[in-house]
Amino acid sequence: MANSRNKNINAKLVLLGDVGAGKSSLVLRFVKGQFVDFQESTIGAAFFSQTLAVNDATIKFEIWDTAGQERYHSLAPMYYRGAAAAVVVYDTTNQASFACAKKWVTELQEQGNTNIVMALAGNKSDLLDSRKVTAEEAQVYAQENGLFFMETSAKTAQNVNEIFHEIAKRLPRAQPPQNPSGMVLMERPPVNGTSSSCCS
Amino acid sequence: MFGTQARGEVSHEFQPPLMQYWRPNIYTRRANIVVKFQDLYGFTVEGNVDDVNVLNEVREKVRQQGRVWWALEANKGANWYLQPQISSLSEGIGVAALKLSALANSITLKKLIRKGIPPVLRPKVWFSVSGAAKKRSTVPESYYNDLIKAVEGKVTPATKQIDHDLPRTFPGHPWFDTQEGRAALRRVLVGYSFRDCHVGYCQGLNYVAALLLLVMKTEEDAFWMLAVLLENVLVNDCYTDNLSGCHVEQRVFKDLLSKKCPRIAAHLEAMEFDVSLVATEWFLCLFSKSLPSETTMRVWDVLFYDGAKVLFHVALAIFKMNEEELLMTSQIGDVINILQRSTHHLYDPDDLLTVAFDKIGSMTSTTITKQRKKQEPAVMAELDQRLRRLNSLKMDDKPDSPRE
Ligand SMILES: Nc1nc2c(ncn2[C@@H]2O[C@H](COP(=O)(O)OP(=O)(O)OP(=O)(O)O)[C@@H](O)[C@H]2O)c(=O)[nH]1
Ligand SMILES: [Mg+2]
Repeated sequence: MANSRNKNINAKLVLLGDVGAGKSSLVLRFVKGQFVDFQESTIGAAFFSQTLAVNDATIKFEIWDTAGQERYHSLAPMYYRGAAAAVVVYDTTNQASFACAKKWVTELQEQGNTNIVMALAGNKSDLLDSRKVTAEEAQVYAQENGLFFMETSAKTAQNVNEIFHEIAKRLPRAQPPQNPSGMVLMERPPVNGTSSSCCS
Repeated sequence: MFGTQARGEVSHEFQPPLMQYWRPNIYTRRANIVVKFQDLYGFTVEGNVDDVNVLNEVREKVRQQGRVWWALEANKGANWYLQPQISSLSEGIGVAALKLSALANSITLKKLIRKGIPPVLRPKVWFSVSGAAKKRSTVPESYYNDLIKAVEGKVTPATKQIDHDLPRTFPGHPWFDTQEGRAALRRVLVGYSFRDCHVGYCQGLNYVAALLLLVMKTEEDAFWMLAVLLENVLVNDCYTDNLSGCHVEQRVFKDLLSKKCPRIAAHLEAMEFDVSLVATEWFLCLFSKSLPSETTMRVWDVLFYDGAKVLFHVALAIFKMNEEELLMTSQIGDVINILQRSTHHLYDPDDLLTVAFDKIGSMTSTTITKQRKKQEPAVMAELDQRLRRLNSLKMDDKPDSPRE
């Protein structure tokens, strides 16, 4: 594979989503090919790296697997800052986690890198009997918001490599511009409101 | 070497009844394969033969320390280290002499605690020096039992989250994999979530409470240790709301790193590596997810005695110990690998604590308090800004389907 025209690309990727949606499990499956029934809850975030070869380039993902509990959301900007890609994960058996995923998408659209590649992962697709979010519903939402969507299962490995591959293919071939300045201030005047509540 | 003897020293209900210590034989020594063994607190550790040897030596040192504590007990009386109640004594020369001996005791105690509290004395000493005993003494004897009875069967967002996390707390640990272990952990966490509804339950506390249970022998004592930790030892609001206390600590930490380890700080900054990326978990789990459990306990020995500034000492030491290697990195992944490898292999607590207290230099609690005060407004402004921004996004949003 190695030829002089082969590009090596480092890409920061962040996983966001509700508590227990399966972010860590997806990463574990992708990076180590494993699945455990009881995955330790993530505190702060965990880091992994994995290299993928796609047609014209070798992509080295630097993956940040973040914590899902709502109070941890205030830490998220540190992890998605400068990210070239994001996987927003929800649990197909949990409607609230889908609502949470939408909030993350909105936040990334406003605050993330301008050309960030975003994937929506409807995880736990193996749990057919307890499904609460239909694939159609998620697909429509993804299309409207310019992200690509796959249903995944960290347990059976369905679509796990595929979703990361797809991201690798879609990454701009030039290094994405980094966004070193932490918080991006908003342009709109602030609206007074009570605390924003997402995934409880 | 320490099979039976170590068991004699450490006896508590939550411990797996039999600990098998792995004795490397000549073949594995040669092959240098990865070995699995159980540590003093029942955690399965993976390491190489060198790690096992280090752990052997450490436990020998622990036994020697134990002898020092026993000798002092024989000399000064069994409870010499308990907080002296000077104020309640009669006046006169007797008081002055007592104060003097209390002072001498506290100097001895400080030194001894740095060298590690023998595991068997740990519950008693922690309970006393942390202030948990005092906290408990201000409420009726039945407080904990009443609390647990009163909250039984109640369902709140906190209890839901706790139930979700119970099987995800140290999975594979022989006690936390049992019904009994999970039930005890649940009662402590649920009980606390009702005691302080601002904290409720924050992920991370599950690991902290779990270790407290393993050390303290009884659920009730673990509960009071958790209470004193959150209410007195650590900075306020570490675990509430938007973790503002934790944000403050991170900023203070970054400042300290630039002062105490300027080369590392400059190098990482040039790489655009924010040290909070890794340090946040250290501070929220009090190192319980990063260091071997016996080393974590040694850090907590000092934490309960000296207060939250100990976390800075230890975090700075982890960077300091890896200075040369860190300065050669050019990728974020390498920085993280170095730090992770180093923390996972810190089987000799003295290696860490020597750097933390002798090489980092002293930091008084007062200066740290000042630093925190300085950082607070910026943190609050930043968090507030984020909140408002998110709210404004929400207003722009199409109305969502109602949340349950
Ligand atoms: N059946 C099934 N279970 C899954 C799947 N993915 C994850 N799980 C389970 O769901 C639970 C939560 O998974 P995690 O990967 O820890 O979820 P997370 O999003 O990282 O959670 P936080 O770290 O708390 O934010 C675990 O017990 C997993 O075993 C899946 O695809 N199928
Ligand atoms: Mg996780």
